[in-house]
Amino acid sequence: MNSNVWVLTFADGISIATTLILASLGAILTERSGVINLGIEGMLLMGAVTAFLVGDGTHNIWLALFLAVLVGMAMATVHAVLTITLRSNQIVSGLALVIFGTGLSQFIGKSVEGKPRPVRIEPIDFGALSDIPIIGPVVFNHDPITYLTWFGALIASWYLFRTRPGLVLRATGDAPATVDAQGVSVAAVRYAHTIAGGALVGLAGGWFMLARGTAWSQAATTNGIGWIALALVVFAAWRPLRAIAGAVLFGFLLQVPYTLQGQQIRIFPPEILQMLPYLATLAVLVVLSTPRARRLLGAPTMLGQPFVRDER
Amino acid sequence: MIIGRTRIELEPRLNSPKWLVVAVPLASVFLALSVGGIFLILNGHSPLHTYSKLLSSGYTTFYGITDTLGLATPLICTGLAAAFAFRMNLFNIGEEGQMYLGMIGGAWAGIALADHLPKLVAVPVVLAIGALTGGLWVLVPAVLRAKLGTSEIVSTLLLNYVALNLVNYFIFGSRGFFRDPSTSFPQGRAVSANARLGNFGTTNTYPTLIIAALLAILLWWFIRNSNYGYETSVYADSPNTARYAGMNATRLTISVLLVSGALAGLGGAMYVVGPAGKVDPGILQIGLGYAGIVVASLARYNFVAVVITAILFAGLRVGGAALQISSNPVPIAIAVVLQGSVLLFALGGEIFRRNRIRIRRIQPVVFSTGADA
Amino acid sequence: MSNASPEAVKGSHRVSGATLFALSARRVTKRFPGVLANDQVDFDLAVGEVHTLLGENGAGKSTLASVLCGLYKPDEGAVLRNGTQVRLTSPRHGLLNGIAMVHQHFRLVDRFTVAENVVLGHRRLPFLLRASALESQVSDVAERFGLPIDPRATVGELSAGQRQRVEIVKALYQGAEILLLDEPTALLAPPEVEKLFETVRAMTAAGKSVVFVSHKLGEVVDISDRITVMRDGRVTGSVKRGEADTRRLAELMVGRDINLVRRLSRTAKGEPLLSLDNVTWHRHGSDVVKNISFNVSAGEIVGVAGVSGNGQRELAELVTGLQVPSSGSIAIGGVSINGIGARRVRANGLAYVPEDRLGTGLAPSLTIVDNLVLTRTRGFFVNRRAAQAEAEVFITKLEIKTPSALTQTRKLSGGNAQKVLLAREIFSTGDQSRIIVVCSPTRGLDVGAVETVHKLLDEARSAGKAVLLISEDLDEVLTLADRILVLYRGEVVHEVNGTSVDVEAVGHAMAGLS
Repeated sequence: MNSNVWVLTFADGISIATTLILASLGAILTERSGVINLGIEGMLLMGAVTAFLVGDGTHNIWLALFLAVLVGMAMATVHAVLTITLRSNQIVSGLALVIFGTGLSQFIGKSVEGKPRPVRIEPIDFGALSDIPIIGPVVFNHDPITYLTWFGALIASWYLFRTRPGLVLRATGDAPATVDAQGVSVAAVRYAHTIAGGALVGLAGGWFMLARGTAWSQAATTNGIGWIALALVVFAAWRPLRAIAGAVLFGFLLQVPYTLQGQQIRIFPPEILQMLPYLATLAVLVVLSTPRARRLLGAPTMLGQPFVRDER
Repeated sequence: MIIGRTRIELEPRLNSPKWLVVAVPLASVFLALSVGGIFLILNGHSPLHTYSKLLSSGYTTFYGITDTLGLATPLICTGLAAAFAFRMNLFNIGEEGQMYLGMIGGAWAGIALADHLPKLVAVPVVLAIGALTGGLWVLVPAVLRAKLGTSEIVSTLLLNYVALNLVNYFIFGSRGFFRDPSTSFPQGRAVSANARLGNFGTTNTYPTLIIAALLAILLWWFIRNSNYGYETSVYADSPNTARYAGMNATRLTISVLLVSGALAGLGGAMYVVGPAGKVDPGILQIGLGYAGIVVASLARYNFVAVVITAILFAGLRVGGAALQISSNPVPIAIAVVLQGSVLLFALGGEIFRRNRIRIRRIQPVVFSTGADA
Repeated sequence: MSNASPEAVKGSHRVSGATLFALSARRVTKRFPGVLANDQVDFDLAVGEVHTLLGENGAGKSTLASVLCGLYKPDEGAVLRNGTQVRLTSPRHGLLNGIAMVHQHFRLVDRFTVAENVVLGHRRLPFLLRASALESQVSDVAERFGLPIDPRATVGELSAGQRQRVEIVKALYQGAEILLLDEPTALLAPPEVEKLFETVRAMTAAGKSVVFVSHKLGEVVDISDRITVMRDGRVTGSVKRGEADTRRLAELMVGRDINLVRRLSRTAKGEPLLSLDNVTWHRHGSDVVKNISFNVSAGEIVGVAGVSGNGQRELAELVTGLQVPSSGSIAIGGVSINGIGARRVRANGLAYVPEDRLGTGLAPSLTIVDNLVLTRTRGFFVNRRAAQAEAEVFITKLEIKTPSALTQTRKLSGGNAQKVLLAREIFSTGDQSRIIVVCSPTRGLDVGAVETVHKLLDEARSAGKAVLLISEDLDEVLTLADRILVLYRGEVVHEVNGTSVDVEAVGHAMAGLS
């Protein structure tokens, strides 16, 4: 077996991981504030189709990505209004966004279905560096957004654990009443981070389309990556740096089946391999449910609960 | 929420007026049609023309109605599954996976057992085993939730993808029991003819529709009249009261999730008994599990309303499909857009049904600072 | 530590003439639906003093503290800070004026470190948080006031006493000059209480002022410079250090008119139905209920008096089978019920009216009929027809004001909801209950409803039932009970038999002055 193939698999895995990191960072920001948004899959699709259509019309990559971000924010805003202001069920609202996003992306993408990708985000040319064995393809063969994403995860971790707004954000997900008593608006914190999360998810969809997609086809575009991103948030215990590690692992696992198929190797059925990220996440979920872990590491305590001030 | 000097507050209503119960869904549908209309116009279609065609093909023609009823059949089951769990505040969003497992279990019974059984017994056995496997698929999340408090939302969601890959493995990834051995084309092995119910005439409607509808009425009646239904109602309203009355929360939680999974599994088994007759990965693309949650939510977890909502919902998809047969085809996805937006507006509207909106002027706040004043 | 007290109001250190108080209440009145919580209350806190607000539960002391810290707005009257009127709109606004309250229920983020909890909500916190710098700032504040605490510890892992220290350090870090401590010793073990008192002394030595809200007379005498006693929303007296005589304080606190009309049993009492023998229950290593033994016989009401939090709720849960005693035994009609579960205890003829009526005793969104079904034995199907007929009878007989028997109980007033609950527990024909355990049955009810509830309990006794009345309302216990037990720190410290009651002795026992 060609060892180079595995290097390429890993490099490809990193590229899948980038989408996963972007989307799960968005979900981490949202969930840390106490809002669970299951609508990520729909938002990714809308980001992807927006980037495709804008890229098709203008051939401007950055405008395409920018509008994908805006669309992600708009959808997150709908979720925020429904769940934060109107206190609707967060689960149902998220699923409604998935359905809406799936339908709308398919509808507005119908005219370009099957059309090849209009523009592509090119990898940065590192010259000779990309020719270094193993390190070259894995590290020096990506586009700017990939590097920004990895850097972004570091920033997100820094923001969450080293800044004042990060401190307030974490407190909002765990103990909104405490934050409220300090005179900080719980709703404002939740709106801000739900919408910021939407921006990242929109970018994830747009980037996925323009960097990895070949042609627009709704069914094949995201292929459930939005749901994997949600699983990854749990796997990473709501921590950006662990999300990087998890994303690389998941990305690799998702890519291996294709490599094995390409190599005509059938030691392990690809479908079974593809279950692994979900089963691993389930195992992590169980570990996080033990009393001590739940107290210190688990989901934000008030995740999914609307905040109502307790007044006498 | 505060805008300028005005404060907008939600104040719970003790009694919601009757007219709102009608007005909110109607307004949701109207607003959703308007949103869809905007996208139709942007895409160069006439909303009025599109909608009239959508409605007439989904709900008025004979084959339209029968197609709608056929599609609605498994959707009723997943809708009942979601309603059964959600009304207890148990958010099982794994109906999708539980339905696939019901299909697998039903197909296993249809292949392995049905040949040895008379038809009258074979069909119920297939349905029962499908329900059983669907229920078992939610066993782990149910026990985790009841014993450790693990979020059933995430665990049931994760298992959807395990189930999806399992179906793909049986049909595409292996040449095992469930795969048709007679052809290299990847498709499911057909179940015994004993395990199938014929369709009504030349339509796509199967007798399983009647089973699903009767089941909804039975559930409605059972929850209203049985002790089990009573206990779930108490627990859903006030877990403290349930504890006070000596009810067993662990048993209630586990059993409700298992029944929910079984109902979704039944939907999958009905697919085997009815149109598919085998493990069919085609069902994976329709998303009937997630749609079931939407249906249940629109029906406000009322079992009988689930049947009606599921039929209306299915009609949209059937009508959507008909739109494509035209010189200027409208993408079928418009139906999905409408479904999503109806739900979003209904969710928002629910708040207006439950609460009164108060708009108040805020008194200017004087910050006096003691000795400085 | 320049930013420890940036929001302290200028001038608050200006200790001038004796007339200038750090914080005062002038004729403060605060009403809640059906309750006059504060009635024209005056209160003064001098700089550097510990001023205790003493009173039973429901005396209005926590309400006054909440008005003083900005949580509640007074309906009438004024709050003065350094002699100038302030209109506090929120606790945040109170803090801007240097006033902070430490609540009985801590408002901390369990997953945060001590330092993170302390600095959260500080308005001048820098954007970038350097953990080491914040931790040393927090340590500085903590050490200055004798509050040893590890700033890196996770709050979720701390004991109640340590968490309280975190709350106090948080208030001090945010620049509080005045601390209101609401029942600060409620959750503390005795050594922790001593530690708290040291902290309070360190704070007053540094010029801070402390309001100590408590119902534990025995504890507060040593620490207080002044004690103001409240009862029924009014100030009944105020004494300075040195003048504090515990007997006098106890009278001010629980003393009352003796001309209550006592309703005692008119029939001879029968066989003992409920008996407790040396019942003890531990939680987290301490005895919440300790060596309790008593009987309740047919045809009598046994009252359990005591200030809340002395084991009443736990006693009720033990007797009703919701908890299993750590040692000792509970028997109904001579047969042990240890560990058989609430449902079977009920089947043995024990009915239970919990303190929390809407949310424990009744399911709020279910109808009256469905709530009557709750404690009946039910078969596979629920017989609502019988319950409906029963509901109609109760509605007429007890004058329950409701549109119909199919109205949700949350739509009923407190008194009517309580009537539904009592009707079910006392009269429901489904189970013939012989023993009735009732907890604070009239809390929050208006006078008319109180009368009805008392009448119902009296009737139950006359019908030969054994009634255990656990109530924080001493008047209620005095009115109804044939025998009175006083619970203090989980133990029965005083017992009154017979018709003559020394109310003063009961009051002292409730305050822990045996």
